[in-house]
Amino acid sequence: MSVPGDDAGLAVTGIGLVTPAGSGTAATWQGVCAGRGTAAPDPELAGLPVGFSCRVPDFDPRAQVPGPRPWQHDRCTQFALAAAHEAVTDAGLDPAARDAARVAVVLGSAAGGVGTYEEQFRKLTDGGPRAVSPLTLPAFLPNMAAGQLALALGARGPVLHTATACASGAAAVALAALLLSAGACDVAVAGGADAMVTPLCATAFARMGALSRRHGSPARASRPFDVDRDGFVLGEGAGVLVLERAADAVARRAPVRARLAGYGMAADAHHPVAPDPEGRGLRLATQEALRSAGATPADVAHVNAHGTSTPLNDRTEAATLDRFFGAAAPSVTSTKGVLGHTMGAAGAIEAALTALTVQHRTVPPTANFHHPDPDAPVVDLVTGRPRPQSVPLALSNSLGFGGHCTVLAFRPAP
Amino acid sequence: MDPVYDHLVTVLADKFEVDAEEIRPDSTLGALELDSLAVVELYVTLQEHWGVPLDEDGATAELTLEQVAQAVSAQLTVEGVADRGGAPQ
Repeated sequence: MSVPGDDAGLAVTGIGLVTPAGSGTAATWQGVCAGRGTAAPDPELAGLPVGFSCRVPDFDPRAQVPGPRPWQHDRCTQFALAAAHEAVTDAGLDPAARDAARVAVVLGSAAGGVGTYEEQFRKLTDGGPRAVSPLTLPAFLPNMAAGQLALALGARGPVLHTATACASGAAAVALAALLLSAGACDVAVAGGADAMVTPLCATAFARMGALSRRHGSPARASRPFDVDRDGFVLGEGAGVLVLERAADAVARRAPVRARLAGYGMAADAHHPVAPDPEGRGLRLATQEALRSAGATPADVAHVNAHGTSTPLNDRTEAATLDRFFGAAAPSVTSTKGVLGHTMGAAGAIEAALTALTVQHRTVPPTANFHHPDPDAPVVDLVTGRPRPQSVPLALSNSLGFGGHCTVLAFRPAP
Repeated sequence: MDPVYDHLVTVLADKFEVDAEEIRPDSTLGALELDSLAVVELYVTLQEHWGVPLDEDGATAELTLEQVAQAVSAQLTVEGVADRGGAPQ
């Protein structure tokens, strides 16, 4: 993957997004460039410690989810199917016309159909066994987004699920790249989805002290790297990319939005949920992403940070970026200021946004940033408005509970 | 009109997304493309709404809508719910 020639490396030929900024790549890109937070009071979380979230607005499964019986899927799978439909259409790909055994699906999710699980467990305790849906397991099992997508596409290649918490979607993209590089498939539909804005998940995150309590102004609650940040805002959504070997994309004259130039996966091995203060996992993943891209730190023009808006993550990530890049100081943004933290979807959504950043030569701003944190200084954080910038090489960082770290590297299409 | 049948039609159209034009008293659940799990899901939905137990062992895709509605009505009578005007939970 080291030479970005016309027919080398991996091509991103399709993108599909369902996010708190709206359904569709265009709505999401417009939303993150506008730089306004999407968090709002959430009636389903009323009475819980934190009563606001970043929901996908106006999601209509009947209109947006392809295939029969969308009602039987958990919301997580519905997001994944809707985003994948857009991505495959964007790629101009007809999966039915492909050799099914050469089409892979890799989707990441932190919690799969946890909303179904919570609802059905409540039915069991309230109404007994007869109240429990026979569709509980097909809706809840975390692999079912990938399984249902394979069914929808008729894909019979490797169909896999990744679960690395908030790095799940990025890990899915990296694993898809591995499959393509190893020749295990010719097309990979890869991404992440989560629908964790549920009473139990929201309460559990609040009990950890991870969520912002800025009840007075939810839209300003997610403020990555700002000195007054007080936690993340729970979000939901899906991001899906279509990946192909560049030579194959060239051969079928596919539109290429960007190149996936490299990827790195590593772990902190430090603490179950706290990031390593030295950022060892992130540093290793970044080194590996750059090695596989045939690049050096000085080549990196931009980083889409994990930037959750929690005090701990942003401080550690900022320090790691500073130590790693030093004077090279790439531009940095966190799109979570607009979208909140979409959990396992985040890494895939941000991979897509990083691909769009290099394609459109535009860096979306970090929303709600007003005052730098002396303990988490980012030399060149993009704030306020989108910045026109030619980006020869960009990284997307994703970190998750468990110490999982994935870094993806993107280049513009030749 | 029979409130039980009317509710069944509403559930099939709204939750199960069955084409309203295909919903007739003599349509079988299978003809409406409800598979075995979806048929049980329909029974769970009806039980929850009407507050009466239904015989899930008898829930098959061969049942017509009329038969399903009759099964619910029979239970409502057994449970005495019909005497209260068939009011759902």
